[in-house]
Amino acid sequence: MHCALKFCSYWRSKRLEAFRFVVLCAVMGVAGCSGLEPVAAWERGYLAEEGMQWQSSAREAKFEGHVYTSKEASSGGNGAAGGGCGCN
Amino acid sequence: MAVIERGVKNAHSASTIKQSPLVRTLGAAVAALPAYQNTYADAPPEFTEVGLRYSHYSEDSLSEDKFIAGARGRYDIDVTQLWIEAPIGSNWSIAVDVQNDSMSGASPWFVGTQVDGQPGVIMSGASIYDNRVEVGATTRYFWADGNAGFNVTHSKEDDYEALAMAFDVAWNSADNARTWSASASTSNDRVEPVNGNIPVFIDQEDIDTASIYFGVSQILSSTAIVRIGLGYTFSEGYLSDPYKLFDARPDEHSRTALSGGYRKFFPEAQGALQIDYRYYSDDWGTDSHTAEVAWHQSFDRFALTPYLRYYSQREADFFSVIADLEQDFYADDFRLSSYGAITVGLRSTVQIGDWQMEGQLERYESDNDWGLYDGEAAPALVNFWRATIGISWRFD
Repeated sequence: MHCALKFCSYWRSKRLEAFRFVVLCAVMGVAGCSGLEPVAAWERGYLAEEGMQWQSSAREAKFEGHVYTSKEASSGGNGAAGGGCGCN
Repeated sequence: MAVIERGVKNAHSASTIKQSPLVRTLGAAVAALPAYQNTYADAPPEFTEVGLRYSHYSEDSLSEDKFIAGARGRYDIDVTQLWIEAPIGSNWSIAVDVQNDSMSGASPWFVGTQVDGQPGVIMSGASIYDNRVEVGATTRYFWADGNAGFNVTHSKEDDYEALAMAFDVAWNSADNARTWSASASTSNDRVEPVNGNIPVFIDQEDIDTASIYFGVSQILSSTAIVRIGLGYTFSEGYLSDPYKLFDARPDEHSRTALSGGYRKFFPEAQGALQIDYRYYSDDWGTDSHTAEVAWHQSFDRFALTPYLRYYSQREADFFSVIADLEQDFYADDFRLSSYGAITVGLRSTVQIGDWQMEGQLERYESDNDWGLYDGEAAPALVNFWRATIGISWRFD
């Protein structure tokens, strides 16, 4: 609840003006996808190929996230929090 | 884990393995949480899988012209990951992950001025040694139109302990062309810095973090899919680095990120183009852009994926190359400075029967001149190599 309130307050800040505009465009873009030609289940073989996945493996994503979280400022903000570390 | 067989029939069986429950395991993995795209996502894995993975991470020593005192050699880390995941009945799965990180090396303590007037780094003295063990368990329930998972992860090292819990859910539209996903998590961390080569000035402090995420993916055609996600993370507590001499950060931190991805398969080439982008903004004044492009080339039982990642961030409001102690908040940590970074890497997998082997090598380099934002160059910017090998085995 505390997190949700903080989010609402931060979301309304002037700092995120451009950000809110991009999100609005993205939402409208997704909504616009409803007019797409449907792809039948039997036509989805290519979508299941290894190269079409969002990440190569869960362990690689975890490792990579850990490295970049330790060495770059923009950790978090795009997913759930994991077990942290005192990496410096 | 991924397999390489081609074709619709094989793609079906492959997907039930590839889309292991851990794909949605929360933690760092959720950074790329897919709002999953195909019709086979909502069933437990068909096999039990055990795997072992070893990675070596090695930072370049600090260059002579930026070094003032201490030890020049920076971190080397050996990371071992072990996991098992298995179906339970027709609707559930469970997975257990264990990870061990063994670290040694020196780290920047503070930035001072060299005799020529240029900033230089005072490193911690002799090597620091530490070991971190992380254990995580995930259970997931699958139903016709979606799935939901719960994860608990505990991490412990000499000076840091964390307990994180996460819940996520994904559900498909009626035609399975669109998948919505959401997650929420908390992490309660405790830092107890150890007096070693450098003095520390706190005994014990806490950090609490909560995150929420919402995403959607959409099938565009039989060979293309797109996704977008919005995440927010809030932390409060002791957010300074106790191992930096001059580091005083606010005790609250709000972070928002908008991420997107696109995948396009080229049947003639048996390859896939992978494009990902993330925009990040926080209330410490940092913005960043991350773009990654990869080409996944499949051969018979073999796959190669070269990839390129570009990252650029704006410095935090309270960062300065040499900490300004007159301010309420200050830091000279290079990770809060303006810079750009490039990662170049190559990943490969080989499938032999029920066994899969993987290998990966990448190089990360950062430089103030490569960034999109203005700001002075921090002398301790890091460059590193990392290499990974792994093996996994599936059985009924």
